[in-house]
Amino acid sequence: MKRNRLAAVSAVAIAGIALAGCSTGGADDPAASGSLTVWVMGDSSEHFDELIAPFEESSGIDVETVAIPWDSIDQKFTTAVASGNGPDILQIGISKLRTFADSGALLSLDDATLADYPNLASSNFIDGVAGDATAIGGEVVSIPWVSDTRVLFTRTDILAENGIDAPPATWDELRADAKTLAGRGDGQYGYYIPQWDSALPVVMTWDQGGEVVNGDGFIDFDTPEFDKAVDLYTGLYADGSVPTNSDFDQTQGFISGVAPMLVSGPYLAAAIADAAPELDGKWSVSVLPEAADNTSLLAGSNLGVWGATKNKDGALQLLDFVSDPANQVSWFGIDGQLPTAKAALADETLTADPLVAVYSEQLANSRILPLVPNWDGETGKALLDALNAIVLTGADRDQTLQALIDATSSTSVN
Amino acid sequence: MSTTELRIRPGVRRPRKISITTIVIGALLAVGAFATAFPFIWMVFASVKPRSESVAYPPALLPQEPTFEYFRQLFVELDFGRYLVNTLAIVIISMLGLLLMAAAGYGFAKFRFRGRDALFFLVLVTMMIPVQVTMIPTYLILNGMKLTNTLVGIALPTLVSGFSIFLFRQFMATIPTEMIEAARIDGAGEWRIFFRIILPMSRPILAVQVVLTFIAGWNSFLWPLIIANDQRLYTLSVGVALLNQQIATNPSLQMAASTLMVVPILIVFIVFQRYVVQGFALSGLK
Amino acid sequence: MRQRIAPYGFIAPAMILLIAFGVLPIAVALLVSFTDMNLAGLGNWSRIQFIGVDNYVKLFGDAAFWQSLGNTAFFAVLGVPSVIILSLVIALALNRSQNRFFRMLRSFYFVPAITAIVAVALVWGYLYNTQFGLFNYLLSLVGLPPVPWLSDPVVVKFSVAAVAIWRGLGLNVIIFLAALQGVPKEYLEAASIDGAGSIRRTWSIVIPLLRFAIFFVTITTVIAWLQFFDEPFVLTKGGPLGASTSIALFLYQKGFSSSQFGYASAGSVVLFLIIAIITLIQLRARRADVDY
Repeated sequence: MKRNRLAAVSAVAIAGIALAGCSTGGADDPAASGSLTVWVMGDSSEHFDELIAPFEESSGIDVETVAIPWDSIDQKFTTAVASGNGPDILQIGISKLRTFADSGALLSLDDATLADYPNLASSNFIDGVAGDATAIGGEVVSIPWVSDTRVLFTRTDILAENGIDAPPATWDELRADAKTLAGRGDGQYGYYIPQWDSALPVVMTWDQGGEVVNGDGFIDFDTPEFDKAVDLYTGLYADGSVPTNSDFDQTQGFISGVAPMLVSGPYLAAAIADAAPELDGKWSVSVLPEAADNTSLLAGSNLGVWGATKNKDGALQLLDFVSDPANQVSWFGIDGQLPTAKAALADETLTADPLVAVYSEQLANSRILPLVPNWDGETGKALLDALNAIVLTGADRDQTLQALIDATSSTSVN
Repeated sequence: MSTTELRIRPGVRRPRKISITTIVIGALLAVGAFATAFPFIWMVFASVKPRSESVAYPPALLPQEPTFEYFRQLFVELDFGRYLVNTLAIVIISMLGLLLMAAAGYGFAKFRFRGRDALFFLVLVTMMIPVQVTMIPTYLILNGMKLTNTLVGIALPTLVSGFSIFLFRQFMATIPTEMIEAARIDGAGEWRIFFRIILPMSRPILAVQVVLTFIAGWNSFLWPLIIANDQRLYTLSVGVALLNQQIATNPSLQMAASTLMVVPILIVFIVFQRYVVQGFALSGLK
Repeated sequence: MRQRIAPYGFIAPAMILLIAFGVLPIAVALLVSFTDMNLAGLGNWSRIQFIGVDNYVKLFGDAAFWQSLGNTAFFAVLGVPSVIILSLVIALALNRSQNRFFRMLRSFYFVPAITAIVAVALVWGYLYNTQFGLFNYLLSLVGLPPVPWLSDPVVVKFSVAAVAIWRGLGLNVIIFLAALQGVPKEYLEAASIDGAGSIRRTWSIVIPLLRFAIFFVTITTVIAWLQFFDEPFVLTKGGPLGASTSIALFLYQKGFSSSQFGYASAGSVVLFLIIAIITLIQLRARRADVDY
């Protein structure tokens, strides 16, 4: 009865503990030269193993890939910093780069360190992330790896039905076209502004020919270009061209035609192809519209080396391997992520795909968001809060913007 | 001690018909149950919808062309077998914690001792702090004990919980003290009383706790993620989280993963709920 | 003598673990709250500086903090009684009969409690979606305009609370069901023979006998709702414009997400104190109660 069951449970528990003791076989022995631990985000660890198999063979280094869920990298990194036990190499999303760099846990990758590794020269990579572009306080602590950008998606069929025969080439055109399309009826829009997207107003500012960081490295929204960007942003709302609810789903919106124009990334293209194959040929991807320029967002991930790594040479060798344009092309084939090496982006196997050709073109004219501490949680959030307050709750524009300027002017990239 | 049975008065037949009230209540409950479970039902159907149907509007409950593609993906891309073993090991280790907590609940319920109220408040206190706050100190402790990257290290922080001790204490407080006294007079030792009397009488709450402990162990995510230095110690929840891409996730895949995680819990619940509501006659000692 | 030390023997193993992994971290948090610890400081303790009560001053000066405090109070006042009363009523109804049908219904009520929060977010996010969601679709079928369930600053609080109430039912229903097993049938029999109606019996006999369970459910539900996090985090990320941000979510976003551990710890200490005080009040109020 109860007693026997209790005894059984205890026995099983003890067995479980014994099993636990055995199963990981004496924990981790610190990376003996000849082994590396790499943190890769999401479910790409198997693909990564595939990519580096030739490296393992030729170098004799045993590489252990550990997959980390995207949403949990903060916890993982924090405990690693706390205990000092980290991997040898880790993937770093660009939005996290500043935070990780500030922790002091990453190895400095100055010119001297990189001298022996030709593939790691900054000239090999697209300008937006090469060398100093991702340096923190003048120090380079990561190497570009994969990239992501934002381009214009349009439902060419819906545009054609409404007398627009090509995706808008300028932002003014986009605004006008969006208004036309919104006129199709109730619940129909022309464009979609994600209320969580702090990059869009920055991209708009860049496209007006402006900057959001001034010469001294401080955030500065007090510029005429930013003002024009705000005009555009709030104008789209004022025209009734964009939905006002925060939970608008862009995939469904695009597929159903409710929002026939969007600025989004390659992930959306994959989603559309997967979920709506019947729309083939009815939508297209093009570079961003321009005003003074059509610079877009550059996102993606870099790779960093753990400061306390016991296998620095091995780590750098591995970095060199994955930065080889040929391998970057392979990685695209295996995992679908865009390269950062210029030669890889120009490779024919990539540009044969019309979508990738557009991404490639846009990537040549893309920039990362300012590397200030916690862009997502502070500066970016303040920017969004201000804009959303103006367009959603009717807050006074000048007052709100002034408050934004005051709140962010002391944030610096240094 | 004899258990008093319900005496049926002679001449009165126990009614076989269910009363109207019961039927009405049953009907209302059924409606409520369906409404409550509806999102879950939606989840299960969504897990077999091809991606095109998951973005369809107007929304439809039933899939037109059901596919098990996403379940297949889970088994193929997840290292399912290994994660399953790890998860089960953690569940089993947690069951040991159950015993410790029952003992503590009993101690707080049925004994008077110095510091009891203060210590019990400490038990409650552990429920009042967000887990992120405990994360770093706990990790450092485990690191110091050289328990990182072990299953024991993963199970240890959540082995006992204030919530469960509190629950045990509440239930055990209702056990008649006279029974315990009687056993003591008969010469039984304290632990013997615990195993022979207290635990059997706590069957309903033990059943509840088994289910709760199973759920917690089965869904364990944070500690396996942090304590494990390599994927070989990941649990099912962590494996599922790996499938979440950075921005665009596949809804059907996530639904499939969630369905997969829920089914075993549901089975455990269905098996153990019998014990939860097993009426036991508390005798006329009361 | 054996009886004297016996209780310590019973509680010791669990208490040691609890203190190590539950109480110690709180003490550490208190210490950290007086520093400016961030990620850099975590890796290198020499980079941590004591800054006294600066974190607390900053906290109390943050409008978003007060907004989240107000939101949390609203959620608690709305959610706690709803959960307790609903679970009690459902448990009483389910206890009506032990037959197969009723037993099967139990599982239905339990299901929300065991569904992963990720799935909950997906399904409910979908149900609530303004353009493409099921609820507004149903409304449109009867000619009603769509409701901005998650976009309106007032409605969003109710929508998010509703999901949490839905999730919180299952566990408490089960606990009440287990508690109802301890109600001796003889009492109910005697009362009904005496002529007491069903509702009277429930109110005057069953519920008082459930006191210990009601007490437990109340305390734990209050604590849970004051730490409200999961639902706003996955459904709205605290939006729109902070309308559904609870304290726990605020701490997560302002503190942990940006690795401002000192600041986050200060906030956690404040939250902890609030919960501790409210719990103490509840404990005191119950002191007068009879011990079994």
